[in-house]
Amino acid sequence: MTSDLRIDRRTVLSSMLALGAGASVGSAAAQSGGSALNLAMVAEPPTLDIQSTPADLVCIIMQHVYEPLFTFDAKASLVPMLAESMPKISADGKRYGITLRKGVKLHSGRDLNADDVVASLKRWMDVSPRGKSVAAQVTDIAAKDPQNVEISLKNAYAPLLSQLAMASGMAAIMAKETLAQPLREYVGTGPYKFKERKPDQYVLLTRFDGYAARTEAASGYGGKRVAVVDELRFVPVPNANTRVEGALAGQFHYADLLPIEASARLEKAVGKVVPIMTPSFGFPYLVFNTKEGSMAPVAVRRAVQTAIGEGEMLAAGFGDTRFFIAEGNHFPKGTPFYSAAGTAAYNERDPKKAKTQAEQAGYKGEPVRILTSRQYDFHYNMALIMAEQLKRAGFKAELNVVEWATLLQRRADPKLWDIYITHSGLFPEPMLSPPQLGDGAPGWWASPAKQAALAALNQEPDPAKRGPLWAKVQQVVYDEVPYIQVGKFASLSARSPALQGYTPFTYPFFWNTSLKS
Amino acid sequence: MARYLLARLGGMLLVMSIVAVFVFVLTRAAPGDPIAVLLGDQATAADIARVQKVYGLDRPLPVQFALWLRELAHGNLGESIFLQRPVTQALWERAEPTTLLSLLAVAIAAGIGVPCGIVSAVYRGAWIDQAFTGFAMLGASVPSFWFGLVLMQIFAVDLGWFPVSGYGEPGASLAARLHTLVLPATVLGVLNSALIIRFTRASMLDVLGEDYVRTARAKGLGEPTIVLKHALRNALVPIVTVIGLTVALMIGGAVVTETVFGLPGVGNLVVSAVTRRDYPVIQGALLVVAAIYVLINFGIDLLYTAVDPRVKV
Repeated sequence: MTSDLRIDRRTVLSSMLALGAGASVGSAAAQSGGSALNLAMVAEPPTLDIQSTPADLVCIIMQHVYEPLFTFDAKASLVPMLAESMPKISADGKRYGITLRKGVKLHSGRDLNADDVVASLKRWMDVSPRGKSVAAQVTDIAAKDPQNVEISLKNAYAPLLSQLAMASGMAAIMAKETLAQPLREYVGTGPYKFKERKPDQYVLLTRFDGYAARTEAASGYGGKRVAVVDELRFVPVPNANTRVEGALAGQFHYADLLPIEASARLEKAVGKVVPIMTPSFGFPYLVFNTKEGSMAPVAVRRAVQTAIGEGEMLAAGFGDTRFFIAEGNHFPKGTPFYSAAGTAAYNERDPKKAKTQAEQAGYKGEPVRILTSRQYDFHYNMALIMAEQLKRAGFKAELNVVEWATLLQRRADPKLWDIYITHSGLFPEPMLSPPQLGDGAPGWWASPAKQAALAALNQEPDPAKRGPLWAKVQQVVYDEVPYIQVGKFASLSARSPALQGYTPFTYPFFWNTSLKS
Repeated sequence: MARYLLARLGGMLLVMSIVAVFVFVLTRAAPGDPIAVLLGDQATAADIARVQKVYGLDRPLPVQFALWLRELAHGNLGESIFLQRPVTQALWERAEPTTLLSLLAVAIAAGIGVPCGIVSAVYRGAWIDQAFTGFAMLGASVPSFWFGLVLMQIFAVDLGWFPVSGYGEPGASLAARLHTLVLPATVLGVLNSALIIRFTRASMLDVLGEDYVRTARAKGLGEPTIVLKHALRNALVPIVTVIGLTVALMIGGAVVTETVFGLPGVGNLVVSAVTRRDYPVIQGALLVVAAIYVLINFGIDLLYTAVDPRVKV
């Protein structure tokens, strides 16, 4: 269904829900040998250490090599991966007993054991930004025997399993003897093993013949994984137009993240290429400096929230209306965390009201420094529109357009900016993104209301009760405006008609795919 | 001769020292932090500080500079922060596509530029001169990315004669790798031929007005002999200079073409290093490109003696 660009976006609940379960595993079209997929990626990966960075690109490649203990299925539900089953959780929610699946082999040929898991998770808690937030909750991780691991927590921490299951910045299980900083060897348990990296040419993965697959039917990232194709070649093709041409010419079996303007050409090239739209792929958001500068007072941030029109910003950022949704709910309708709490303040675009609010808040024409970059065109285009919307409401908006590396550096200094623009993938657990929901992320949001709402959400182990608790967090976000979720956007990719069994997902994967001969 | 060579060598060393200082200072003066890029969007200030320490980026700049110079003296350009390999190895891996691309492109540029320039000069003011001059203007104005995409659309997508992007599949033969260079070399060659046409034309026009050309005509020599043997030989100095500089320019400057065609060349390496602030790669690559530039200039100067007997070292 996702290959049809004329889908009704309102019927799509989320990228996670919309993905359709299952893939035709090991279809009749499977290759007998020597098959390889050429996969055009957006850049050269900054590293291959999937634990140390949440970069999507690193995740897309290395999720074939490494596996987590748990993962998400097509319905965004948690399912076991390297764990045999879901963990046994103590009544107070502070102890998680995890049994490992038997017979799982590392790429080195050795059996995976609990020591590998303990060492990997400890490294993850040390090097991964997401792991660090988990580390703050963990008192101990111990191997009870070769097949059993126990995680002990200070308090009940409901997002733990989602944190362990998240594909990017993965709590990847690695061979203990390869753990180092920086990582030099890539030995995991996945259906593909690392073969070679030639920077700016390719990262080569080959089928791991000793892979121990789960027996459940494939669903999302979960269930049975089969490496049908012999070799995966992840090729960096930084120029987006070149990725489009390469897909049309049949050079790439898959081309990731294509410009939305290319959709018409891709749709016309029937038989040559299949366009893939992943709805609710991610969300752009504006982060406010709550520590210093003109945006520090809550009331001024509320005035900004009133002034801006997210719909206009999205239109400027993404153009084609099929590729964005202007909605204030942070999670899509139909998902467990959907809520309309606070959304009356979304997309108000009321300069008059905003001006009055700003005056009452004591705003006296201080500059509003908007930090943005042209790394992503939609960031810059949205910033242009926002600056004009703010000026209409009497704010002295100043655009500070820098390069991405400079933005990453400057946003760490509260003296240099008031608002910056970024985006994130849309994940099935609120605590996975944006980082402003945690502590210490740029913006430095800290308040009693935040603490109370998030403590309630994080300590509630019952998934059914966590939805309404998220609604309270969303309300606080609208009340205190530490960040503004601008809306949702879809992504455009393309595959060759010869690539069979491909299931679109946030981070595209190529196990369970085959090449039609 | 020996004194000249020594003096030139000293001058080259001085130039390289100045380049080293500039490269280091400018690289570090630019805002941005490689570790912030490496660790990604969610890294905290503490994470960044911890990894900066691993790479020695927390040390004072003069100390970092001194350490870099010490390594340079040992022929070591440092280790890339992102590529997990020495800069020399990263450069070496990219030397082949860049060198082959540059040579192919220069061959195409000179193959078009010199004959067209000669014809333009000989038929000065005629329609053919105007056509070539117009072509030179066009070549100087057309952006290489656009021309690259046009060629890609026609010859790779529509006709399927060449690959769109990349430098061959893993383990590709030299012939297969050269095949991937045809389109990018054509882009660079055709666009760079514009400058060579103009230089050749101007240089030939200067020479064709000389007395000895008139004398040659008076002696009854055939026009091809006059143009190719007498005039061209004397017009070669500026032409060789511009061809040499074109080669030097391409080694570090074929960035746009390399990016459009996804070629793993030096230009691509430098651009990705700059966007990621991979300091050792930026510094090492710029230093090597500068050294090549200096050496090519030196080579051109030596070539003058072969081209023009009046030039003596």
